[in-house]
Amino acid sequence: MPDGARVLIADDDPDIRDLVEFKLTQSGYAVEAVGDGLAAWESFQAQRPALVILDVMMPGLSGIDVLRKIRDSENGAVPVLLLSAKSRDSDVDTGFAVGADDYVIKPFSPRELLHRVNGMLARSR
Amino acid sequence: VTSRQLLLGVEFLVLLACLALALSVIVSKVTRLNRENRTAIALAPVRGALIELAAGEPDGLPVLRGARGETAQAIDEAAVALLSKVRGEPATQLVAVLEEHGALERAKADAGHRSSVRRAHAVQLLGLARVGDSTALISEALEDEASEVRASAAYAASYLADPWLAAPLLRSVGVGEGIPAGLAADALLEMGVEIAPVLRAAMRNPAPRTRMVAAHVAGIGTFVQALPELRELIASDPDLTVRVEAAESLGLIGRESEVDLLARCTAVGVATDLRRASARALGRIGAPTALTTLVDLLDDSDRRLAELAAHALVQIGPRGVDVLEPRRDEPAVGTALALAQLKAGAL
Repeated sequence: MPDGARVLIADDDPDIRDLVEFKLTQSGYAVEAVGDGLAAWESFQAQRPALVILDVMMPGLSGIDVLRKIRDSENGAVPVLLLSAKSRDSDVDTGFAVGADDYVIKPFSPRELLHRVNGMLARSR
Repeated sequence: VTSRQLLLGVEFLVLLACLALALSVIVSKVTRLNRENRTAIALAPVRGALIELAAGEPDGLPVLRGARGETAQAIDEAAVALLSKVRGEPATQLVAVLEEHGALERAKADAGHRSSVRRAHAVQLLGLARVGDSTALISEALEDEASEVRASAAYAASYLADPWLAAPLLRSVGVGEGIPAGLAADALLEMGVEIAPVLRAAMRNPAPRTRMVAAHVAGIGTFVQALPELRELIASDPDLTVRVEAAESLGLIGRESEVDLLARCTAVGVATDLRRASARALGRIGAPTALTTLVDLLDDSDRRLAELAAHALVQIGPRGVDVLEPRRDEPAVGTALALAQLKAGAL
């Protein structure tokens, strides 16, 4: 159960931000949505979310850059899901090699994303 | 008329042309911004319902389907954009909205429009919406005279994933630079195993780009039926890029029986790119019968090739590593062994 768990979503596409925010909020999560990598890193430090969803290609810091910073930080064990249009095996390999817990390729199913978020949070508790 | 006057006249004309160009750029930007603003304003009252629909909540579906005029047009534009972002039931619902507004029928008609921009948009929408009976239109668009239409059609083919489109797609990728090779390869991979015969035939196509894409897909997609064609390409294709791609693919799907052919391609005098690709392929196959060839390559004057040979020996396993250990101090060997240790540690 979400229990108002805090989720940070970073994506430079407002449509993706809004629909993920809607889906997760509707399911009981407290969602913080930001539009670039730097804002994601700042929000991560300030809010200490229970789970992070990062787009890979973002202006400023990429999702991979933010993930690296998260893993090197004090709260580095937080579950991170990468949400990206980059679908090649090498892209997925890079995501997991840097420390992603999951990788979802766009176009994606919002329902499946919710299940993955629920599962990741349940396992991390 | 003096030459000075002539020069002034030319300068004036150039200045006038620059001003006209600047003006047209400004006008087109302002027009586009105005249009975007009008669309955003028209969409605003229903954007929430559209986002909810894309998130899988169809409560606002009747409102969206019932919209008309500028609002319907704005919804359609936004729905098309969302179709490239979500899949599953939300995508089906978005298509239902487009269908209700007549956007899909318009797209079918626009596929034959005189404007190439309209044709490209139409074809892209038919693909994104996975309009099943549009396969013939997409096939025609793959042979369109305009490169942007061909590229849109390849994109649409990747969504439709209809094996029937494999042949026109492979033909089209060989014509000019319209369709990026990676896009064509991705589309072909979506079409599944049924395209094997088409892929094999494409490796005999006169266009090198078609042969290259077919060879690439054969490896990435594990089309083992295409092994004879891959061998033929490596051995005798007149285009080096094709031979390199075939070698890479043979490394992905080949067995020990390919070692002799690949080893011959690492010989001195063969093109550098093919030698390197063949060394990589020998490593991927990982057969101990490649040991002698790879050990010889460690002393090659092409240091990159020597590095690849060292990596390939690591990939062969303990027998390859045993050969490398006494030469650990050599840069190419040391790097390969260190990387292997790092990988083992990470696992």
